[in-house]
Amino acid sequence: MDRKDFIKRLGFASIMVPVVTSCNEEDDPSSGSCTTTNAETEGPFPTKSPSSLIQTDIRSDRTGVDITVNITVQNKNDNCNALADALVDIWHCDKDGYYSEYGGTSMQSVDYTAVHFLRGRQVTDSEGKVSFVSVFPGWYQGRSTHIHVHIYNASGASLLVTQIAFPEGSDSAVIQVNAATAKGYTKGMTGYTYNSADNVFGDGVSTEMSSVTGSVDNGYVLTHTIVVNA
Amino acid sequence: MKGIVKLVYSKIIDAGSAGVWNKNVFADTHREFFMQAQQFDQPGRFQTFQEILANIPQAENMNYLVSTAAAGYLKQLNGKFPDVLNTLGKTCVPFRNFRFEVIQSHRSNKALHKVAIHLYSDPLTWIDTIDRLFIFGTDSERESLLNDGETETHSIVLLPNVGICSFRNFTVTKP
Repeated sequence: MDRKDFIKRLGFASIMVPVVTSCNEEDDPSSGSCTTTNAETEGPFPTKSPSSLIQTDIRSDRTGVDITVNITVQNKNDNCNALADALVDIWHCDKDGYYSEYGGTSMQSVDYTAVHFLRGRQVTDSEGKVSFVSVFPGWYQGRSTHIHVHIYNASGASLLVTQIAFPEGSDSAVIQVNAATAKGYTKGMTGYTYNSADNVFGDGVSTEMSSVTGSVDNGYVLTHTIVVNA
Repeated sequence: MKGIVKLVYSKIIDAGSAGVWNKNVFADTHREFFMQAQQFDQPGRFQTFQEILANIPQAENMNYLVSTAAAGYLKQLNGKFPDVLNTLGKTCVPFRNFRFEVIQSHRSNKALHKVAIHLYSDPLTWIDTIDRLFIFGTDSERESLLNDGETETHSIVLLPNVGICSFRNFTVTKP
């Protein structure tokens, strides 16, 4: 049976009956001078586990030209000083323009992390910095090269949803990388949407434009500062 | 022997779920829901998952995005269905695949948060059913079964939220 058939069959056969809530076995702990420790019948899983988004190397199984993404977060409400302990989510498409698994409730594997490719979360240090290792994003119709960013405060409240733009001059990384067929970038620049025509960046990219240095062979380093009102 | 089957265990986790594992999954997936909702509905016009979905179709992706908060807990299960125990009280149903679903949720009212994790077992050899006991062997034991050897089996009671989700005839192909 191939995977598609399997999933199809599951669709017909899935059973959705709520788990019967077990009886509450927490007896009255108040008698006597001490308090009985509550029993935990569900066994050896007491530890908190961070989100699988929290990782530095977000390449997973994706190939392409390496890029290090260095982001600094500053707080406009604090004299533009560094904002520590902010959560920074980034996500972007792979060299062919595809995002990691989108589409709701598809089947996932516990072992196989590829569905999480090119998507990560980190917490800013005392200098407001985070750094990710990824592959240089490709592009898809209607959009220039970009990286999505969502910044939250330490309690998870959203501070800013934004995108990072890439320089696109004649010798820019965008031009070089999309010509790098040896690295698997096959689209070239034909049909590419430049920043000026992009429906997100078209109104100006001054605060969203990153600095990108490096080469196809040695990889690139993207540096960008994002200012939030925290 | 009856055939090769896969089981699905639909585990529902909500505010009433007992146990540390369930409570951790509940708390962390609600936090992730709260965080991701702010991406799809930045002005905060909608409070519930249903409202967000009805007005912002892309929010369907929140099922996947919220699942990232549960991934670490699924690894903690060490590849065995939780709660479904054999007659010796041990977990025994191997799984690798799962589907995660936000059934309902609310940005600020955590009590309304409810998720389902559907765990899909690896192929099992359904040997027989005796009374309420479903008796099976796992992949690694099938070879021995085929060769008339003695093999370890497991007996479980199929709970109401555990079902058979696929079946394949057991064809013995002896050399």
